[in-house]
Amino acid sequence: MSHPSPTPFHGFGLGLRIPHYTDFLETPQPVDFVEVISENFMVDGGRPLDVLTRVRERYPVALHGVSMNIGSSDGVDRGYLRQLRALADRVEPLWVSDHLCWTGVDGFNSHDLLPLPYTDEVIRLVAANVHAVQDALGRALVLENPSTYLAFPEAGMSEASFLAELCERTGCHLLLDVNNIYVSATNHGFDADDWLERLPLDRVRQVHLAGHSQGRDMLVDTHDSPVPDPVWALYSRFVERLGDVAVMIERDDHIPPLPELLAEVAHARDLADAVRRRAA
Amino acid sequence: MNLRDHQRAFVAALSSGGLPDGVDARGMAVYANNYRSQLMACLRDTFEKTVLWLGDDVFDAVAARYVERHPPSSWTLDAYGDLFVQHLEATYPIDDEVAELAWLDWHLRRAFSGPDAKAIDVGDLTADDWDRIELEFVPTLRFRLMRSNAVAIWRAIADGVTPPAPVAVEQGIGARVWRQGLSPRFASMTADETACLDLALTGASFGELCEYLARTHDPERTTRIAGGCLGAWTAEGMIRKLSKGAPL
Repeated sequence: MSHPSPTPFHGFGLGLRIPHYTDFLETPQPVDFVEVISENFMVDGGRPLDVLTRVRERYPVALHGVSMNIGSSDGVDRGYLRQLRALADRVEPLWVSDHLCWTGVDGFNSHDLLPLPYTDEVIRLVAANVHAVQDALGRALVLENPSTYLAFPEAGMSEASFLAELCERTGCHLLLDVNNIYVSATNHGFDADDWLERLPLDRVRQVHLAGHSQGRDMLVDTHDSPVPDPVWALYSRFVERLGDVAVMIERDDHIPPLPELLAEVAHARDLADAVRRRAA
Repeated sequence: MNLRDHQRAFVAALSSGGLPDGVDARGMAVYANNYRSQLMACLRDTFEKTVLWLGDDVFDAVAARYVERHPPSSWTLDAYGDLFVQHLEATYPIDDEVAELAWLDWHLRRAFSGPDAKAIDVGDLTADDWDRIELEFVPTLRFRLMRSNAVAIWRAIADGVTPPAPVAVEQGIGARVWRQGLSPRFASMTADETACLDLALTGASFGELCEYLARTHDPERTTRIAGGCLGAWTAEGMIRKLSKGAPL
């Protein structure tokens, strides 16, 4: 454990999804926190907010968004930020996260995490957007590395260097998605361990673990299958360097019965414990 | 190329299936597929009963044309199907039940996460001058004049039984969708109830509803219909408040 975390350790959690609402509301589950997709609860009322309120009475909650559009040349939508702030005020989350990407421009929204060219112009723009978000939310933003399927020849820096520079300029934190690192490293042919070396590890607040699929030409971040062995292996190596950082299993499609996901949570916990014992 | 130009070129390629200069076609294909499949999945999820009525292949063909013509603009996918009912009305000008099923799908989904409001119950139905009483409804309430028996078809699909054949219904008949507590609900309405709800939503007092009914019904039937509407709307959690309007 060469990089002890400067913040409280929040343990091992699970992404809360609709098929498991009843499980979480009726029976205590062996997770330390849950993460929810922010946009699913940025609604006027009804069952989503009722469920979230009751879950929050039982578990700490992290808010994880997909529509912040932090890399858009439009800047971040003020209405979106007002609604996210209202949700954060209601939930009092562990943290608020989103992705280093853009989702649209000129009023168009792709609802996908689109890739950014890592240039000086882009880091200036994204840093300004992060500052605006942090001012609006009144808290540091946590940004996740997305899976990417394109690299741009004009990029002057790597994704990891870009994230490190962004942390330096804005004070934002990081959500390290180990599956996304694996997917991007495989698709673009870079070394995942080298990638991690370039990050300011003391800025990492959370780790995501998920599965992916083999597309026609490259790996695709589908979150529809168990965490595969290569991602577990990468996680084991990363845990040694990250120290006590919150870890979460993320499944968004083909969602299995809860015990299958809880087994993955337990496995993540066991691997981290093993690393901790070796380091002791 | 600056970022704005880069992003505009990317968006144009995403929705048209093109390829921006200098971009790897294999990677662009992943993003283009993600974009389209996400929107198609959203429509299939939102218009679940319409999918079952039309069948997968027909629905996908109609939805694909919608995706081509309606690029998403909101940050929330919940808003993406907001013009799909009109798209179906244009696609199926004779088969009224298709768009009407989609209308039910859409508004039941909107009601699911619509604004909260506490409804009054039957015990709250007290007033000293009913003629001047105006009804305030829960904010999720929507209604529509229906041309087909889509309500019965939707209910049969939901119950997993063979739906009735589509038929035209009497002019003036309607359907309403709202949320009672946390549960989205829907119901068909007679022509009289539909007209009364239409009037009440535009601010007509209970006395004005009775005046409207009295044009075509005798006093006893007028009282029975008006009282029936008020009782049903209250019992079903549709009314949030009674307020006293100006004298008639």
